[in-house]
Amino acid sequence: MPAAVPAVGLHSITKRFGDVIAVDSVDLEIADGEFFALLGPSGCGKTTTLRLIAGLEFPTTGSLRIFGDEVGTLPPNRRPVNTVFQNYALFPHMTAEENVAFGLRMRKTPKSEIEPRVRDAIALVHMEGMEQRRPDQLSGGQQQRVALARALVNSPKVLLLDEPLGALDLKLREAMQLELKALQREVGITFVFVTHDQGEALAMSDRIGVMDGGRLLQVGTPEEIYARPANRFVADFIGHANLLDGMVTGPDQVTLTNGITIAAPSDIQPGGRVAVSLRPEQAFLHSLGVAPGHHTSVDGRVEQVTYLGNALIYRVSFQWMHIDVRAENRPGRAPVSAGDEVTVSWEPSSVAVVQD
Amino acid sequence: MTLTTAPPPADGPVLLEVTPEFERAAARGDSRRGFLLSLPAYVYLVLFFAIPFGIVVVYSLATRNTIGGTDLAGWNLDSYRRLAEPIVRDILFRSVWIAVLTTLICLVVAYPFSYFIATRTPTIRNILLVFVMIPFWTNFLVRNYAWRVILGSDGPFAAVTEALGVGRQEILFTHSAVILGLVYGYLPFMVLPLYAAIERIDGSLIEAGRDLYASGAQTFRRVLLPLSMPGVLAGSILVFVPSLGAYVTPQILGGGKSTMLGSYIVVQFLTARNWPLGASLSFVLMTVMLTATLIYFRAGGRNL
Repeated sequence: MPAAVPAVGLHSITKRFGDVIAVDSVDLEIADGEFFALLGPSGCGKTTTLRLIAGLEFPTTGSLRIFGDEVGTLPPNRRPVNTVFQNYALFPHMTAEENVAFGLRMRKTPKSEIEPRVRDAIALVHMEGMEQRRPDQLSGGQQQRVALARALVNSPKVLLLDEPLGALDLKLREAMQLELKALQREVGITFVFVTHDQGEALAMSDRIGVMDGGRLLQVGTPEEIYARPANRFVADFIGHANLLDGMVTGPDQVTLTNGITIAAPSDIQPGGRVAVSLRPEQAFLHSLGVAPGHHTSVDGRVEQVTYLGNALIYRVSFQWMHIDVRAENRPGRAPVSAGDEVTVSWEPSSVAVVQD
Repeated sequence: MTLTTAPPPADGPVLLEVTPEFERAAARGDSRRGFLLSLPAYVYLVLFFAIPFGIVVVYSLATRNTIGGTDLAGWNLDSYRRLAEPIVRDILFRSVWIAVLTTLICLVVAYPFSYFIATRTPTIRNILLVFVMIPFWTNFLVRNYAWRVILGSDGPFAAVTEALGVGRQEILFTHSAVILGLVYGYLPFMVLPLYAAIERIDGSLIEAGRDLYASGAQTFRRVLLPLSMPGVLAGSILVFVPSLGAYVTPQILGGGKSTMLGSYIVVQFLTARNWPLGASLSFVLMTVMLTATLIYFRAGGRNL
């Protein structure tokens, strides 16, 4: 996908800590100007990958390039990247302004240049008037902004962000997601962003790399990752998915472990053990036997209804398996309750066949 | 503050009323409990610090009589005037100089070691801290005599320096031996507060320094050192204060030549029988120590 020289290029990067393999032969290219998310559960190797790019860890094997230059063995102070740390890591003994100016001072930037650049960076993150405050006099959101300014003021070629929104409360986090995305477009710098929150990754990134157990499982746009998960882990980790175990029994056909055969397009050879992934919001609930003709449908019984406010989740069981169906809470919805006999249907194209 | 204004209904639940009187009584109770809890400490301080210190001050203002006794009359500042005499002044300066040097050496030796301990895993950290404490299991006096054997003319120190080709170095009964003994004795007092201060520093601040283009040395000077300053100050005071008033080490390793103030004060009380001069020297010593401690607490120190 990346056309020109990638901003970050990892080739067969492996990082071992003693016997533990934290990052397992990862190949990844991140394009210039991209907003890239490394997504995965804790301990999946995403933070170690980010620290390898920052120079806070050194790879055991492999090649690491930033805009074509091999940097794998350079210390962090000699790499053209800056990091926004998870808990911001603002220097507690310096004011906001001194924190922002730190990188420029260390690089012996002329004084006349430092002042306007610091002012611009502080304005960029809307922290005017807070210059003389110390970190402990700032709220979490304000510290976050100072940390961003402290990194961006150095005009890094790549900005690395380690769970930058993790410490903020929900409302603030949502506001900062939009702001961070807008900020990235404004400065045009490549952002590499680590998160365990799949919603955050989907909402903010141009592309997402999903990691588990040190391996990079899938790289793609949010749409690709959500609609076409590469394996069971990705399907399960991103959003909610009904994962129905079965076996490929013919072209575009899967027989589930409960004996029901459904249409499910895939390239997998017959006999392969698979799971069919179906998103709850892409399944529909009908009165028994009235599903649209072109839909795949199964008959079942409603086991449980969960009220979410904006939506309802119906758990429908059919032949020892069950499917969750999500329906928006709209006026005039049919009054379905536990015990009702129903038909569940979906477009054949909304399922994805995944392997372990 | 009154919570209820209406009288409770006759057969309803009994509502509690929090009146200003009640709150004041509660606050009085709190402060009385606080006073009672700290009373033993106050009693100890008065009996074993304030009263003896007062006696020292009284004696420093008294007069030495011709038979070596002290007359508690004719109050004057003569003994303080004598502090300016060359012999006293030299000992004073030398004591301060030896204490400063001891403190600096302890700082330079202890800082890297404390950093090393603070960055280990908790298990190794605890083992290393126990190693730091082990010397305290042996009596201080005994350890000083051990040094006398080590540094003596037939001791291992001279053998080692000879083997190293710098000749048989005999430093016993020199200032070097005193400083060596003091550094040895008080090093743990530098290591522990330094360790506590460094251990508290968030490691990601060091990484942030490196990430923001600072070299290792710059990160030390701009980030690590300023943030560990409370530990540097605490350790320095804990080493400087006892070094300044040291008696046993200069006596044993310095050859009893009144190298330092402590020995000189003892001489004034026991040999020269000039109690006012001894008391005035003690007073000066105490004042310097208290001032150092006060400066530390004013600077917001918490590591003692």
